[in-house]
Amino acid sequence: MWDGLAVAGTWWTAAERVAIVAATRRSLRLPLGETAPDIAVLSDLVGPDGLSPLTREVVRRLAVDAGRITREWATAAIGRMGHGHYVETVALVVQTVPIDMLCDLLGRPRQDLPVPGTGEPSRVVPDGLGQEGAFVPWAVDGWSGPNVARALSFVPEDNSRRMGIVTSMYSGRHFGEMVWRHRALSRPQVELIAARTSAVNECFY
Amino acid sequence: MLLRASSDAIDAGADVHGAVGGATGNVPHGGLLMAYAEAANRDPEAARALDDEVIAAVGEAGLVDAAVIVAVFNGLVRSADGIGIPLDDTMLAATAEARAELGLDSYAGAANNPG
Repeated sequence: MWDGLAVAGTWWTAAERVAIVAATRRSLRLPLGETAPDIAVLSDLVGPDGLSPLTREVVRRLAVDAGRITREWATAAIGRMGHGHYVETVALVVQTVPIDMLCDLLGRPRQDLPVPGTGEPSRVVPDGLGQEGAFVPWAVDGWSGPNVARALSFVPEDNSRRMGIVTSMYSGRHFGEMVWRHRALSRPQVELIAARTSAVNECFY
Repeated sequence: MLLRASSDAIDAGADVHGAVGGATGNVPHGGLLMAYAEAANRDPEAARALDDEVIAAVGEAGLVDAAVIVAVFNGLVRSADGIGIPLDDTMLAATAEARAELGLDSYAGAANNPG
């Protein structure tokens, strides 16, 4: 999975993807009382870290202030970046954060940044997407799973890697079972921690 | 909903108020695990001060499980908030009472849902 962060993506180059991973790690909450920059006016000129102030702020908001993302903010960000770059940015942040956080919680050193690969972004929009209430189009044709599983289907390879993380760290093959015997904690213990985590992050979903 | 359903499946008697920092009901070591989850989310390095207590209660594998769940859900909440995922229809209906009781409808993401 980790090396998958450093391959050419659907919209970002490999070097840009690794720069986004690095920016995710550097992201900090704004000091109390400081207003977040207006996404509509941030420059899209790339800086020495390989990212523009616009992308850097989108990464920051996703990494450390996601609970305050509104449709208005997301619409403005997507209007500047395009659906593909926005969804792929989300994908990179949500693959980086769990791995780094687990290392931090277990007192292990974080993984070194992966070395960027070569190649060009494919810029392919998958077939079968539609707008169904999320900020971005997602898989609709023949879809029957939970919304969270199709959240990043605009970038299917990253969505697949992300769901691999979720499956391996959360439920394994046992999501539909209410009694778990495959891990040290019982399912109610797991769900209590999950629910508290969601609430601390003020996540409605 | 999964907290309640999985608790009901083993007659554990979980209290969903644990999600917002209240009573956890009869989930074994629920209070400690909730405290760990809070600390881990606010300051992962500081949360390590609870490691010995968590290990004493649920073992080393239990501590790893707790850390893994906090970590993976930090990815999931960012996916949900970044993409504006609306609640699935069945979840929207099944959780209406609990959401109102726990104050979850005041979260920014609630605006992504109909009604």
